[in-house]
Parts: sequence; structure tokens; C-alpha cells
Amino acid sequence: MRKRVITLASALLVGLSANAQKVEFEEYNLNNGMHVILHQDNSAPVVTTSVMYHVGAKDEQPNRTGMAHFFEHLLFEGTKNIKKGEWFKIVSSNGGTNNANTTDDRTYYYEVFPSNNLELGLWMESERLLHPIIGQEGVDTQNEVVKEEKRLRVDNQPYSRFLENVKKNMFKKHPYKGTTIGKMEHLDAATLEEFLAFNKKYYVPNNATLVVAGDFEVKEAKRLIKSYFEPIPRGKDIVRSFPKEDPITKEFFAKAYDPNIQIPAIMAAYRTPSMKTRDARVLDMISTYLSGGKSSVLYKKLVDTKKMALQAGAINLSQEDYGTYILFALPLGDNSLQSLVKEIDEEVVKLQTNLISEKNYQKLQNKFENNFVNANSSVEGIANSLARYNVLYGDTNLINTEIDIYRSITREEIREVAKKYLNTNQRLVMEYLPESKK
Amino acid sequence: MKKIIIAVLAVVSMSFTVNAQIDRSVQPKPGPAPQIKLGKAEKFKLSNGLQVIMVENHKLPRVSASLTIDNPIYLEGDKTGVSQVMGDMLGNGTTNLPKDEFNERVDFLGANVSFRSNGASVRSLTKYFEEVLGLMADGVKNPKFTQEEFDKVIERTLEGIKSSEKSVEAVASRVENALVYGKNHPYGEFITKESIKNIALQDVKNNYNTYYKPNNSYLVIVGDINPSETKTLVKNLFNDWKKGAIPPVSYNVPTNVNTTEINFINMPNAVQSQVAVINIVDLTLGDKDYYAALLANNILGGGGTARLFMNLREDKGYTYGAYSSISQNKNKSAGIFRAGAAVRNMVTDSAVVEIQKEINKIRYQKVTPEELKNSKAEYIGNFVRNVQKPSVAANFALNIARYNLPSNFYEKYLENINSVTLDDIQNAAIKYFRGDKARVIITGKGIDVLKNLEKTSEYKINYFDAYANPTEKPAMSLPIPKGVTASSVIDDYLKAVGGKDKIANVNSLVTSSEAKIQGMQLSLVQKNATPNKSSVTVSMMGNVMQKIVFDGTKGYQEVNGQKKEMAKDELEEIKNTAAPFADKNYKTGSLDRIEPIDGNNAYVIKHGKKEVFYDVKSGLKVKEVKTAQGPQGEVKIPMVFSDYKEVNGIKFPHKIIQKNGPMTLEFIVKEIKINEGVSDADFE
Repeated sequence: MRKRVITLASALLVGLSANAQKVEFEEYNLNNGMHVILHQDNSAPVVTTSVMYHVGAKDEQPNRTGMAHFFEHLLFEGTKNIKKGEWFKIVSSNGGTNNANTTDDRTYYYEVFPSNNLELGLWMESERLLHPIIGQEGVDTQNEVVKEEKRLRVDNQPYSRFLENVKKNMFKKHPYKGTTIGKMEHLDAATLEEFLAFNKKYYVPNNATLVVAGDFEVKEAKRLIKSYFEPIPRGKDIVRSFPKEDPITKEFFAKAYDPNIQIPAIMAAYRTPSMKTRDARVLDMISTYLSGGKSSVLYKKLVDTKKMALQAGAINLSQEDYGTYILFALPLGDNSLQSLVKEIDEEVVKLQTNLISEKNYQKLQNKFENNFVNANSSVEGIANSLARYNVLYGDTNLINTEIDIYRSITREEIREVAKKYLNTNQRLVMEYLPESKK
Repeated sequence: MKKIIIAVLAVVSMSFTVNAQIDRSVQPKPGPAPQIKLGKAEKFKLSNGLQVIMVENHKLPRVSASLTIDNPIYLEGDKTGVSQVMGDMLGNGTTNLPKDEFNERVDFLGANVSFRSNGASVRSLTKYFEEVLGLMADGVKNPKFTQEEFDKVIERTLEGIKSSEKSVEAVASRVENALVYGKNHPYGEFITKESIKNIALQDVKNNYNTYYKPNNSYLVIVGDINPSETKTLVKNLFNDWKKGAIPPVSYNVPTNVNTTEINFINMPNAVQSQVAVINIVDLTLGDKDYYAALLANNILGGGGTARLFMNLREDKGYTYGAYSSISQNKNKSAGIFRAGAAVRNMVTDSAVVEIQKEINKIRYQKVTPEELKNSKAEYIGNFVRNVQKPSVAANFALNIARYNLPSNFYEKYLENINSVTLDDIQNAAIKYFRGDKARVIITGKGIDVLKNLEKTSEYKINYFDAYANPTEKPAMSLPIPKGVTASSVIDDYLKAVGGKDKIANVNSLVTSSEAKIQGMQLSLVQKNATPNKSSVTVSMMGNVMQKIVFDGTKGYQEVNGQKKEMAKDELEEIKNTAAPFADKNYKTGSLDRIEPIDGNNAYVIKHGKKEVFYDVKSGLKVKEVKTAQGPQGEVKIPMVFSDYKEVNGIKFPHKIIQKNGPMTLEFIVKEIKINEGVSDADFE
């Protein structure tokens, strides 16, 4: 067994250049400014239609958090030609499936149908954009539904409030300080007029990217897209200017409480740049180095060898305007939270001082190669990636070329980026404690 | 490859596809149904019993392999968790490769390798697959069980138990299984701190040596492979995996309760209740009514267009999602029907009613032809969308092997779905959705939920703890925090309405309010003055009907012109309530308990024949309950205060609801005057 492993290892060095699949696509603009991306894959009779709007929780008024997500719910309530309550029925009775989701940066809607229903998918998305019906009745029902969503996903879940608390402490000015689900009292206070104004401002073709992916005929799809979407009037240009955060120059501390936990957690959070930057990708590699897999530094040290932690990890929360880099651990037994921070810090200092080994570097490259192949494994996933790269990064072809950025990152860069962002005077240290400790 | 044309999904939209202007008021019709191809799987069997299924697909340069050990289920008893611990220990190195090297190799290849008590899975790029499958085979055949690793896994498992102790979802799922299957069933038993502490390293080794065998196992390989090379690879890697003798099993076959009952599990930290109506079903993949059961469940609660979702979420807004599910199982009566939702505390009782209503409706009334048609379309669409994924083709082949199904089972699948009738649906609903013999399992916050549940529910409520042991009904009030007394509650109340200083300046009050009784307007004018004078005048359409007057020492009641002097005990009572903000008199009462009212906690002060409720958070008075002697004995007369608004900087309730037997009066305050409009004559 052992012998075989060694012979194969030498073969690896040759294997790396093998070319992974390329995602072919075509993109263009309609006259009203709507961006269109087509990706044809006729290997299965399935087609995805999706629209990504460049609007998310960060576009909300500070006293109306949760609006963007709430709005996503409202846009299933019906349109001029789709009666209230019919949306889901039309989708499922035509063999399709659909959903939507909202982040701080964007909102995404999609349908997946057997390929003979391409036109239906386009019709529904164009209806949603052209003339949704936003009424008090829908607002009232969805108000309750969203509250239940929050209770289900946040209030009743262990460790679910940690991100909210990290963001609240890390951002003082930028709207990333709030959560996507928002404050319920803000939603209660929102008026119908405000919802209508939100729609008018952000749900316009010049703020949207339409993706059609899967089994279709290009010429026919273009004709249908033009027929359904081009008549939709262009909206005003959207001007975005978000306040800039002051740099963090001194380590600061916070506490947060969770009634659903018994075992506390410790987090160290650092402010990092936009996900569009090269540095953000270097930080992705650093998190994988620290916590991706059983041989990763933090797992091996804290969980396995020293048995100090139940769990340890790194999260690179990448967002459009800023990133937040979070190191965390849950103690095992009587180990103190401070002792975990100390151990984690040691590893960060090593990263800042020494180059990671050639072997570890190769391991990172292999992992990212593997992620890249798997990222494009489903047509629905490709549709989402195309939209995201276009809307948030402004470069659709990153779906093919982002891997080249990762490949070009050097060991020296990893060290430099760790030195640039992961210093103790640039961070928040937050204790996340059981409510009973309050 | 076999081609199937779906005739169902759509009839053709022939003639009018020309390039005329689109009419967006008409929902587009589907085009001709697409052709689908069922993926092909290759199969072979090794002499040790391992069955191998391969699906070749070159779209991406990757391969995945999954091993399933399909032994009959068995009981672990007082060592429940032993198989899980065994599974967790697998992959921590082998007798050939130390743990760190093993993990390092897996990570270096960018691969995923995982082991569990009943199998293992790997995924990697094509170029590394040979080595990665080799690592998996090594882990399967040659695990290393050391005391050191064992201790680690035990410690981590114990902490893991602790970390989910307060999770409402985790407790609900544990207790649901324990109650429905019984603790003496492999699906009903669960891990506890005690059962984990009972496990020794030797138990883990025994578990591996007994059950981790190729006899009942399937290895499924999907992706960018050359089947004949892969066959050789598998033979080389797995031929020497030794088969064993799997012991026969015995456990109780679960049964349903005779009549529906509620099982309540108290979780004081819950903000939502997990509500589930559950019963056992005896249903296996391929049964004659299998398809009808699937469709019936789909119509009842299969998704975002099903009845439960439309009712509990879209209509009532009780929940983020309400669903039902029916699971088939190879073992006798080991499948489950479950309809449920996570709902906010205050609507728990109503959610139970609505879920049961929907279950009964689908049992006692036929579904509509349109519902059946749509449901079939949903299943067929789902089939079409997924059937060409290589993993689905592999799964189909695995099911055919595991369940001994005919080889054309999935080719006939759409046909079978299509032939289900309205009667079939109802029969399946009656047979499998046992609203009449179900456990309604509610995991939630008793103090918020139980009062209403007892009121609305026709079922007996049995109480269980978080480990499914029978227990008592939880206390319905909360302990009073240290330092809080009747006096401090009243001080907080006075502060909340505006502060002692402002109140001290109030010498008199006039409160005018209105209510409707049987369509007629009722006016009420109440006057209060210091030190303790009061008068109440009730009139209807300008005619005074009732007057109650107290001048500080004596008083009378006048009804329709009939005057009656107050008796001694009446005088005692009114003395305490006559002054403006007479609440300060309640300081001499006793702080009895904390009780939730509509989801908000309130302090309850007992004073004489009264209980007075002050909201814990806001400090405001929310309710008073007076006990009086009625013709049929003692009656409770509640008054509820809400809609507090400021008048001259002091907060007054502007809505007062009074209940007297079956009669409810809702008073809306129209005007409040402070230090004006009152003279001594008013109290004569």
C-alpha cells in the first residue's frame, strides 16, 4: 500500500496542467439596459431561467433593515397576469422548481423547468419585473412569514447569532452592520409606499442580469427574451455611495449571548477588503490552509493533537464592499477562551513570519482545483455563478478565469497578506456565551 | 440507452408559434415534451458479496464512489452510539498508514474522503481517483482502533451531546423517534451521556468485526471512468475484504396509539414550537399503493403549493413552512408519516387544529382532479429534471438492487405515477395518514403554549422530558427574581406611566369612554379625586342607567333610579380604588407569581379579592381580575388594559376590555381631563 502511494505522488506533478472544463457563454445588453447571459448545455432536457438584481440588504435605509429580503418574499405574491397564490402552482404544475434568495449585496430569483417550458420561465420573470402587484394584504401575510423565518433560522438555532454580533461590532458606518433578515420592528413600520418606492428604484432592467442556461435553441431564446423583456421601461440610474469605515487600529472586545447554547465560542474578526480584490482570494487560501480538512493547521493542532477545542476554523466572509475574516473556536472541557485565542494567534504569527511549505502550497492548489471543477457541476450552479460574476464582479468570464488568479498566488503573497490584515491591533475579539452567563 | 417519450407533460402547441406580438396576459403553453434518456449502469458482484454499480459520465473530470453497508437494523441498547463511535474512528489512519499521513494525503489530493458506521464516500478529480479509492479501501479493510483515538472520539461525542442539549430541533427529533418507534427499536433508541460512557474500545472493535462487512454492501462509482479499468481496480482493492456472519436481529415492531394524543415536551428557551402529527406506516418502495401514497402526501404537504403550506403559511402566516412527508422502509412498520411545522408559540394550538383539519380533509374527501393533475406534473417534472444526472442513474440501480425491484422499475415509474386515480389517493390517505391514531408531538415552551392548547384541544395531553421519559406538566408560572416585591412592581408602574412627581400633581381625573352593547352606544364617565373619592356614571342614549358614587367614607349605587347604600365590605373595597392612581394601595398586596399573557410576562399582585397584572418589560398595568360572588358561586371578572397613550405627559390605557360572563364590553377612551371638570358635588 505504502509503496503505491509514493509512486503515484510523483505522477501528480505532471497531472496539474490538465485542463478543466470551460464554461461557454454569450452575453449582451437589451436596449433597456438589461444584461443577458446565455449558456447552452443540451446534455439534459432542462433549462434554468434566472434574474439577479443588484440590490441587497446594504441598499436599505438604516431604519428599514430587512426590506430587501422582505421584498423578495413580496415578489412571489403575484403580477398583473399572475393571480395571487398562483406563482408556485404554475411552476410546479409545469414540472418546475423555483426559489429566490437575498444577501447583503444582491437578490436572486430562479426557475428550473423541463426544457419545453423555457418561454414560461421567461414570461414569469418578465412579469415579476414589469408589473408585480404589491398590496397591503401580501405585505401583512409575508410580515408574519418573515418573522417565522427569523424565529426558525435565527432565534431558535444554536450559534445563529454570532454573525449578526460580529457584523454589528465590526461595522460602525457601512450598512453591513445590519443583518439581511433585518429588524422586525423596522418591517412592522414599513409602509406600502416605501415598498413601492423600493420597487421603482431597484427593480429596473438596467439593474438586472438575466441568465438562461441549459437546453435551448439560441436563436429562439433570443427572440423570446427580446419579446418579453425589451418592452420593460428602463429605470433611473442607481447611484450608490456607502459610507467608508475607519480602519481598526486597536484591538477591541465584545460579548454576545445565545440562549440556545451551552458551550461558548470565541471569535477573532478582522476587516478585509472587497471580495473583488486579489487579497481577498489570498485570504480564501489562508482560511483553507488554517481550517480546510483534517490535516489543516487549526484542526490538527486544536482539535486533534492538543484536544483543546471541539471545533476550530476560519471563515472568509467575502462581500462586495468589505470582507470580514473570522477565526473561531469552541472549547473542549475546561479550556479557556483566552487559551484558544493564544493558540490561534501563534499560528497566524507563523504565517506572517515564515513561508508555508512547498507541500502545503501544492495542497492548497489541489484543493482549489478540485473546488473549481465541482463549482461548475450543475447547470443551475453555473447560472448562479454567471450572474454573480457579472453583477458583483463586473466580469462574467471570471467563471473560467478566477482559478488562474488562485493559481498565480505565491507563498510570499500569502505571508504578506497575513501580515497586512491579520494583526491583533486590527481586530475584534468576541466572546460568544450562553445566555445564562449574562 | 432507452428512450422514453413523456406524453403527459404537454400536448403540442402546434400552429400558432409564428412571430406575432406576444400576448403576456396569456400564460405560455409548454412546447413538445422533451425526450429523456435513462442513464445506464453497469453492475458486477465480488465473491465476498460486495455488489458494484458503475455509471460512466465524462462531463467533468471527476469521480465519486460511495459504499453502503445495508445490514438489517439492530439494537445497540445500553451502548447506543457504539456504531457511531466506530464510524467516527474509521479513517483515522490504518494499519498501513498513520493517521496524520492518511489525512495529509487526502487533503493534498484535494479530495474528500469520509467514513461512517454503515459505509464510506470519496470524491476526487479523475487523475487522483485511483489513489483516493485506494485510501478508502485501506480505511475500510484495515482500520486502526487505538485507545488514544477512542478517548478523543468519546470526549468529542459527549461535548457534541452537550452542544445540542438546548436545541429545540434536536430535542424534538430525538423525542419524536423515541415515542413513535419506542425506545426498544433501532430507530427509537438514542445516544445519551450514559450510553456513550458505557462503551469501551473493545465494543467498538466488536461492532466493526461484526457489522462492517461486504455481505450486504454496495459500492457505487459515478463519473469520468473507464468501466473495465475501474472493474479491475475495484477487484484489486476489495476482493480481500473478508465477509462475515451478520447476526439475526430482533426488536419490537412499532405500533400506533389507539387514539390520537398530544405528547408535550417542555423547552423553556423555545421561541417556536415544533409541532408534528406522526404515525407509523408499513410502506416499502415498489408497493402497489406506493405511488398513490407519494402523490397523496405531495398534495397534502409536499411543498410550496401543497395544502399545509397554503393554509398555515400563505393564509395564516403561522410558520415559515409547513410540510408533510411519508417515508418507506424495508423493515416492517418502520416508515413514518409526519405532518408538521415550526410555529410561533402563541399559535401552537391553532396550528395543531389546522394540521389535523388538513389530514382529515384529505382522508374524508377526494382531492380535485386538478390537484391530482398538478401533483403528477410536479413528480414527472422532477423526474425529467433529474433523471439524466449520473448520480440519479446510480441511485436507481442501487434501489433496484437493494429492494429487489424489477429491472424496468424506473422505466415504468412515470407510467405508474400517471395511472394513480382519485380513489387511489383517498385510499392511500386513509391507510397511511392516521390522524385518528397519531401522536401529536409538540416541543415548545409550556408556559406560553399550554393554556391555549388545553382549551382548544380535544386530545389527552401526556408530558415527556427531553429524553422521552413521562413527566409532570411543567409549572405554569415563572420564579420571581430576587429583590422584586409588590412594592417595587408598583414603583416601576408609577415610573412607567410618568413618574411619581407628575402623578403627585394629579388631584382629579375625568375619564370618558364609550362601548357598544347589542348595537347601542354605552357611555361611561368616571371621576376620581384625591384623597379617595370616585363616581361612575353609565348612560345609554342620554339616559343615565347606573351610578356609583363614593365620597371617601360612604357611598351608594343607583340603578334605574333605585338607590342602594353600600355595604361594609363594598366600602372597604372601593376605598382602595377611588383615588386617581390608586395602584399605590396594592403595595400592601403580595407578589404572587409571573405569568405570561399573550406571550408577554406579567407580575401578578394579589390584593384582597383582586389579582393585578403588570407587564414585566414595560411596567404597565395590563390586567385586573376581580373575584365576585355571583348567583352560581364565585365568578372571575377580568379587565384588560391596552393602547396606552400620553395625556399631559402621563400614560393612560385607551382601551379597556371587560368580561362579565358571556358578555364582553370594549371601552374606548374618548377623553381624559386632569385637574378640571370635577367638583365635590360630583361625589354627593
